[in-house]
Amino acid sequence: MILVPASEYAYLLPEIIVALLGVLLIVADLIWPAYDEATGRSKTWPAYLAIVGLIAAAVAVVPLASVSKTLFNGIIQIDPLAAFFKLLFLGIGVLVILMSVNAVPKFTRWTAEFYALMVWTILGSMLLASAAELFTIFLSLQLTSLPLIVLVGYAKRDPRSGEAALKYLLLVLVSTSVLLYGMSLIYGALGTSTLSEIGAALAREKTINPIVAMGLVLLLTGFAFKITAAPFHYWVPDAYEGAPTPVTAFMSVGSKFAGFALALRVIVAAEAVPLNWHLIFGVIAAISMTLGNLGAIRQKNIKRMLAYSGIAQAGYLLVGVAAFSSWGIASLLFYTLAYGAANLAAFAVVIIVANAIKSEQIADYAGLSKRNPLLALALTIGLLSLAGFPLMAGFMAKFYVFLSAAQAGLIWLVAIGVINSVISAYYYLRVAFVMYVSEGPAEPMKIDPQAALALCVAIAGVLFLGIIPQAAMVAAARAAASLFGG
Amino acid sequence: MQWLLAAMIVVPLVGGIALSLIPVSLSRFVRPAALVLSGAVLAASAWLWYSFDATAGGMQFELNLPWIPGLNTAFHLGVDGLALPMVFLTALLTVLAVVASRSIDDRVGQYFTLLLMLEAGLMGVFVSLDLILFYLFWEVVLIPMYFLISIWGGANRSYAALKFFIYTLAGSLAMLGGIIALYLATGAKTFDMLQIAQQSAVLPRSVQIAIFIAIAVGLAVKVPIFPLHTWLPDAHVEAPTAVSVLLAGVLLKMGSYGFMRLGPTLLPEGFKALLPLLAILAVISIVYGAAVALMQTDMKKIVAYSSISHMGYVMLGIAAGTTAGFLGAQVQMFSHGLIAGLLFLLVGTVYERTHTREISAFGGIAKVVPILAGTMVFAAFASLGLPGMSGFIGEFMVIVGAIQPYTVYAVIAAFAVILTVGYLLWMVRRVAFGPLNKDRADMKDLTLSEGLSMAPLCLLIVFVGVYPQALIGVMSTSVEALARLVGR
Repeated sequence: MILVPASEYAYLLPEIIVALLGVLLIVADLIWPAYDEATGRSKTWPAYLAIVGLIAAAVAVVPLASVSKTLFNGIIQIDPLAAFFKLLFLGIGVLVILMSVNAVPKFTRWTAEFYALMVWTILGSMLLASAAELFTIFLSLQLTSLPLIVLVGYAKRDPRSGEAALKYLLLVLVSTSVLLYGMSLIYGALGTSTLSEIGAALAREKTINPIVAMGLVLLLTGFAFKITAAPFHYWVPDAYEGAPTPVTAFMSVGSKFAGFALALRVIVAAEAVPLNWHLIFGVIAAISMTLGNLGAIRQKNIKRMLAYSGIAQAGYLLVGVAAFSSWGIASLLFYTLAYGAANLAAFAVVIIVANAIKSEQIADYAGLSKRNPLLALALTIGLLSLAGFPLMAGFMAKFYVFLSAAQAGLIWLVAIGVINSVISAYYYLRVAFVMYVSEGPAEPMKIDPQAALALCVAIAGVLFLGIIPQAAMVAAARAAASLFGG
Repeated sequence: MQWLLAAMIVVPLVGGIALSLIPVSLSRFVRPAALVLSGAVLAASAWLWYSFDATAGGMQFELNLPWIPGLNTAFHLGVDGLALPMVFLTALLTVLAVVASRSIDDRVGQYFTLLLMLEAGLMGVFVSLDLILFYLFWEVVLIPMYFLISIWGGANRSYAALKFFIYTLAGSLAMLGGIIALYLATGAKTFDMLQIAQQSAVLPRSVQIAIFIAIAVGLAVKVPIFPLHTWLPDAHVEAPTAVSVLLAGVLLKMGSYGFMRLGPTLLPEGFKALLPLLAILAVISIVYGAAVALMQTDMKKIVAYSSISHMGYVMLGIAAGTTAGFLGAQVQMFSHGLIAGLLFLLVGTVYERTHTREISAFGGIAKVVPILAGTMVFAAFASLGLPGMSGFIGEFMVIVGAIQPYTVYAVIAAFAVILTVGYLLWMVRRVAFGPLNKDRADMKDLTLSEGLSMAPLCLLIVFVGVYPQALIGVMSTSVEALARLVGR
C-alpha cells in the first residue's frame, strides 16, 4: 500500500468543488423541488447554483495555473496545460448553462438532474486534462461520456432525442472498447500504465514493437471518435441533431476539447515512436476538414450544419497537432478558445431562435435581420469567425495554426486548409444570406435574456481574441510549453 | 499628425456603425450624416495631399503601434506617393457614392454603415505598412461588399455576390499563404513591410518566385487580370450604382496597388521574374476586355468589360518595370477611378429613370436630355483616351513605358484603343443620337444633385488631362525609388 500525503488532495480542490456541486444540486432539489407540481413550471435556481459553483471552481483553478506537480504517484498531472483546459471546460459549462436556463424546462421537468449531469461530465473532462495514467484516463473518459449519453436522450418526448442517445451509447461502447483494448496492449507490452514511464520505455526502444504500435493506433482511434475526426465522424450529425440543443452546444465544444485534452499527453508520450506523426495527423486533419466542409454544404438544419462544420473544425485543430511542436500545440490551444467562443455564440442564437419560433431549419432564419438585427449580426459575427475572417477570433486561430504547420514544413496541409476555408465560407455565408436577403416574417422576435447574456459574452470573446490575441496566445504558449516539459 | 491616417480609418468605421443605430423613424438623417462623415475623410485626405512633401522619399505621416508582439506585427500606417492618390480617390469616390445613393430606401442605416465600412477597409489597405494589417483590411473590404451587392443589388444578386466573395476569398487566402511563407522565409520573423524589404532581397530567386506567385494570385483576382476576371461583370451588373462606382473606382485598384506596394520592395527577384507573364496577361486583358465590351448590349456590362481592358493598361505599365511604366500605371489607376466612376454614375442615372440599360431601348436622347447626353459623350471621350483628358495621359505613359521592354505588346495595346473607340462611340451614338426613341420622350435631365455628384469627376478628368504634373509630381519620388529596385 502506497501512502498518499493528504496535502496532495488540495491540488484537486477544483474537481472536488465540481463533484460536490453535482451532489448538492440533486440533494437541494429533493428538499426544495425545482419543479412546481401545482403550476407545472420549473424554477431556475438549479441553473444559477450550477453557474455559481462552476465559477467557484474556476477561481480555485487560477492559483494552480502556474504550478507544475505530479500527484498520487504519477496518475494526476497538475500543470499550466491542465489548468488551461480546466478553465476552458468551466467557462464552456458556465456559458452553456446560462444559455439554456429557459430552454431546458421546455423539454424536461427534471432540471436539477440535468444540470447535475452536465456538471459531472465537466468534472470528467477536467480530470481528463490532468490524467497522466491509462486507467485514470479511462475512468475520466467514462465520467465524461456516461452523463452525456443520458443528456443526449433527455428530451424523452422527442423520438429523435432517444434515437440520438442510442447512437451515442453505441458509439461510446465501441470507442471505449477500442481504447481499452489499446490500453491493455500497451500495458501488456511495456508493463507500466503511467504516461511518463510509457514515454521513457518507448524512448529506450529503437524499433517499433508491433504490439505497442497496435496499442497506440487503437488508443488514437478512440481519441479520434471523441474529437469527431474523420473517418470516425459518422455518428456526429445524427447525435447533434437529435440531442437537446443545450447538450449539442456542450458536446460541440466541451466533449471535443476533452478528447484533445486526453490526446495531447498520450501523443507527447508516444513522440519517441519512430512513426511519421506529421503525416498521420496531417492526413486525418485533411480528411476531416474536407469531409466536414463538403458535408455541411448540403445541410438544411442548422444543428446538422454546425455538426459538419465541427468535424471540419476538428480538422483545423488537428493541423496544430500535425505540426507536432510547442508552437503547434499552442496554436491548437488558442484555436480551442476561438472555436469555443464562436461556436457557443452560434448555438446561443440557435437556442434563442428555437425558443422563439420552434424551428432549427436554416430556411426559417429568413428575415431574421429585420425581426432582430442584433441577433442576426451576432450570428453573422459567429459564422464569419468560424469561416476565419479577420478581426474575429477564427482568423487569428487559423492563422496561428497554419503558421505552425508551415513552420513544420507541412505546406501541402496548409494548402488543403486554405482551400477548405474557401469551401466553408460558402455555407457559413449562406446562413447570413438567408438572414439578410431572403424574405421572411417581419414581426419582432422575443429574446431570451439569459441566452442573450451568454451570447454577448461569447461575441465579446470572439472580438477580443480576434483583435487583441496576444494575452490568450501567451497563456496558450505557456500551457503548451509545460506539455513539452519546458 | 501621426494620428491622421488612423483617424481616416476609424472615423468612417465607428461613425458608420453608429449610423446603423439610428432608429428607422429618423432614417432621413442617415444620408446627410454619412455625407458629413465621408466629407470629413475627404477633407482630411485633401489636407494630407496639401501637406505631403513630394520631394522627400519614404513614408510620411507614419504611425507605428505594437499590436501582437508575439508575431512582431504592428499597427503600422504611412503614406508615400504611391498611396496618397489612392487615399484621395477613395475619399472622393466615397463622398460621391453617398451622394449617389439617394434612391436607397430599404434598411438605410445598414446600407450606409456598410458603405462607410467599405471606405474604412479601402483606406486601411492603402495605408497599411504591415502585412497582417494589409491582409486584414483586404478581407474587411469583402464583407461590406458582399452584403451591399446581395441586399441592395439587382435580380441576380445572390449569385453575383457569392461569386465575387468566393473568387476574391480564394485569391486572398492564396495571398495569405504567400505572406506566411514570406514571414517564415526571411529570418527577421516580422510582418513589417519596411523591415522585410530590407531583408528579403537576399532570398533565393526560386523562393521569391514561389512566394510572389501565391501573393500575385490574390492581387490578380482583384485587378482583375484575365483569366481571373469572370466575377467582375456579374458583380458590376448586379451591384447598386454607388457600389459599382466604388467597385470599379477603388476596389480594383487594390490589386494593382498591391503589385506595386508588395512586389518590387518585398520580392524584387520574384517580381522581376513574373513581369513577362504579367505583360502577356495584361495585353490579353486589354484586347479581350475591349472585344467583349464590343459585343455587349447592356450599358453597364460595356462599362464593366471596359474596366477589365483599362486595368490591363495599368498592369502593362507595372509589367514594364520602368519609371515611366510605373508612373503611367499610377496615373491610369487614378484616371480610371475618375472615369469609371463617372460612367457608372451615368449608367445608374439612366437606369433610375428608365429601368433598362439595353442600348436598343434608347436612341436620340440628346434631344430630350442634353446635359445627361453631353456628360455621357464627355465620359466616353475621356474613357477612350482623348488628349486633354486624364485617360490619355495614363495610357500614353503606359505605352511609352512599355515600348522599350515589350515593343510588340505596346503596339498591340496602342492599337487596342481602336476597339475602345469602337464600343464607346457605338454606344454613345446609338443611345444619345439618331432618331428619338418614343419611349424616352419624357425622360428627365440631370438634377442638380446628380450634376453635383458628377461635376467633380469631370473637372478632375480635365485637370489631370491638362496639368498631369499635379499628380505626377506627388508620385514621382516614390515611383522612381520602386523602379530603381526593379533595376530595368
